[in-house]
Amino acid sequence: MPPAPPTVERPQRWDAAFDPAMTEADVTRLLAIPPFNKMLPAYFPKRTPLREILRHDTSIRHYRKGEIITRQGDYGTSAFLILSGTTRVVLKPDLPPALLGRQAPVKKGIFRTLAQFWSGRRQPESYSRAQLRPNAGVGARQNENAEVHVFLQDLPRVLDQHRTEEMAAGDFFGEIAALSRMPRTSTIFAASDTAELLEIRWQGLRDLMRADNQLRQHINRIYRERALASYLRATPLFRYLSKDQLDQVAAQIEFATYGDYDWSGEYKRLAQSGSVRPEKEPVIVQEGDYPNGVVLLRAGFARVSQKFGSGERTLNYIGAGQLFGFDEIAHNFQQPQSPVSVQHSLRAIGYTHLLIVPTRVMEQIVLPSLPKNELPPLVSLTTETSAVIPDAPTPRAAQDRIGAATLEFLTANRFFNGTATMVIDLERCTRCDDCVRACASTHDNNPRFLRHGPSSGRLMIANACMHCADPVCMIGCPTGAIHRESFAGQVVINPVTCIGCKACANNCPYDAIRMVDIRDEHGDFMVGEDLKPISKATKCDLCVENHGGPACQRACPHGALERMNLNNLATLTDWMKR
Amino acid sequence: MSRFRRQFFIGIFLLALASGLAVMAHNRWNPALPNYAYFTGWVLLAAMILLALYNARKRLPFLPLGNSETWAQIHIYAGFFAVVLFLIHLNFRLPTGWFEGTLAWLYALVTGSGIAGLFLSRVLPRRLATRGGEVIYERIPALRHALRQEAEALTLGDQTKSPAIAEFYVRELSDFFAGPRFFWPHLLESRRPLNALAAKLENLRRFLNESERATLEKLARLVRQKDGLDYHHALQTTLKLWLFVHLPLTYSLMIFSLLHVVLVFAFSGGAR
Repeated sequence: MPPAPPTVERPQRWDAAFDPAMTEADVTRLLAIPPFNKMLPAYFPKRTPLREILRHDTSIRHYRKGEIITRQGDYGTSAFLILSGTTRVVLKPDLPPALLGRQAPVKKGIFRTLAQFWSGRRQPESYSRAQLRPNAGVGARQNENAEVHVFLQDLPRVLDQHRTEEMAAGDFFGEIAALSRMPRTSTIFAASDTAELLEIRWQGLRDLMRADNQLRQHINRIYRERALASYLRATPLFRYLSKDQLDQVAAQIEFATYGDYDWSGEYKRLAQSGSVRPEKEPVIVQEGDYPNGVVLLRAGFARVSQKFGSGERTLNYIGAGQLFGFDEIAHNFQQPQSPVSVQHSLRAIGYTHLLIVPTRVMEQIVLPSLPKNELPPLVSLTTETSAVIPDAPTPRAAQDRIGAATLEFLTANRFFNGTATMVIDLERCTRCDDCVRACASTHDNNPRFLRHGPSSGRLMIANACMHCADPVCMIGCPTGAIHRESFAGQVVINPVTCIGCKACANNCPYDAIRMVDIRDEHGDFMVGEDLKPISKATKCDLCVENHGGPACQRACPHGALERMNLNNLATLTDWMKR
Repeated sequence: MSRFRRQFFIGIFLLALASGLAVMAHNRWNPALPNYAYFTGWVLLAAMILLALYNARKRLPFLPLGNSETWAQIHIYAGFFAVVLFLIHLNFRLPTGWFEGTLAWLYALVTGSGIAGLFLSRVLPRRLATRGGEVIYERIPALRHALRQEAEALTLGDQTKSPAIAEFYVRELSDFFAGPRFFWPHLLESRRPLNALAAKLENLRRFLNESERATLEKLARLVRQKDGLDYHHALQTTLKLWLFVHLPLTYSLMIFSLLHVVLVFAFSGGAR
């Protein structure tokens, strides 16, 4: 008889608490205050009782006056409830970039551009002390838990020059960004001498919402009021609706989240072991089911797949702003006597936040508003349907154009996340490294990428920052040093406010951020008071300060390298068929 | 029509047009213009400077001077056109004298190395992509060393204890794993050396027991990996080396050309 295999304890949801310092006394205290004292423990499932959610998914944070709690544009995975004290939210216009730890977006002038002739000869990542002098408007300090908090130095001046609104004990904020994985919309800082806040990570918030109707309604109402109306107005499907109709649609839309919010940590291990298979991803819509509604992807990505043999083959992937299930519902609306089921499966890749427009709402409000010529063709069971967006190429066509293997390669490695992915055509690349040299010349002799990476056929995805649509690296930066240059723009790092904590480098699932020990203007390594080297996170910034675009792409003599938005497969297909 | 194909046809068309016009102009003005040789010389020198500017562009990637790809296309077609200008400057006759002869040879070598480079840069990347196993050139020695260590641990290590395999390794494979091998066969896409090694491995099989055969399988896998590494080494070395031929020749040509200008003016009493 063969020996029994070694066993390990099965990992559980709460193996790693959000804050190990949370005590039973803290939880008891929380259960005595609103909104938790109004929640009925009986409504919570046995596996996720209220007490355990508070114990494992929350953390009590203390902020001193002027300390920034959330920054506009940052990505966060948690919401906050004010327990005591006050905070202030900065209304539009927001604080200037420098006060948020960021660099103002400035292109190099003619003199700085020409200065690269001689300044490029120095040691990699050299800075003068003046270059690294922090902005006088902000400071940073560590609390007793060694967490770095950035604070506004001259708070009265900030309050004088910017419009702010007070938030007090019992107020919630940050819940939409946490649940939908969208950037935070406002900067909020502590306004009282001390402010005590309860930080709730998204998993806990999700479970609280599931069990507590009041909290769910509260957050849904905020979501509908603040985020949904403007989003729907910008969605082409609803462009023919009147304001009243749009309000009706907004009132009946359902929200859903699928997958693992913290997908980045595990994904690479799974990809390398070959365990990333569509069958293991959470199903949003199952092929063959009745179409319950049109799915609008608000954040994240989903895989469109079809049964093939005993597995699933990928036909396409869709990202934020795209639809699924529209063809089938439009078909059933036009031909109620011969209805069709959903033709493909939709599965969450990583984390997906979506809106579902119920079939009833589509049939009563949306479809009658569309002109006949904008309705998709009827679904033919013998041909492929678009299943994505009305004017998009069919998912099957996507597979046909770039090949099934390439599509699986891009999906399995999550490369669709990149908005400026470095794609190399190996059939044209002469391995001359002109791209690497150009990058080094442009970035103080420190090439910010590696001309190597996973490949499929003639396609290689180099190890360079992809400026992701879902920038996992931006979650958890304590100083706001890593940020988007503009909304949905390039992800850049401000070396002045980077404290070398490695949070971004550890978070990046593509290993595109490197920590580099910096030097002074004489080429000597800079050290701190503890005599340890000072590190900064470095990565591709898409030559955001330079004129003419990314130096790597411009330097390729054979047109073999392109920075490409892989959210859009058509771009890749056209490029490969040049 | 694909972009590259369209680009190719437009380039060829413009090259043919420019060359035709240049030859027509030559036939018409050659006997008529008094300083015709000077004129064609200056035009040729201008074309050569334009060609040399491409290298300067490559060294200034941080300046917004346009895409290197566009520069490369201009370099290629202007290079071919410069051949026509060169022939016109020579009046379609072979030069006399050792200096002019050397200059002409240099011109031919620069052009030839350029054409060879163009050919290599179009053909070799495709072959590398087809072969797979992409590797960074600078990492090849380290990877080769790792493969050699693995092979030696497998055949000469204490755990294997197969005299036949150890003897075979020392006799047939130690040199193969010691450094890059089969440069020319790889460049010429010949599989003969690998097939020969595979045949020797196969011949050895009949002398081995079950566990030794498993070792032989692993050894054969390492041989294939090393061969793949050698393939990349041969082709990537060639892709890098041709520039080391083209560039020094170009610098020599530029120096000789400037000297030629000086000599022409020195012995002709200046421009007339």
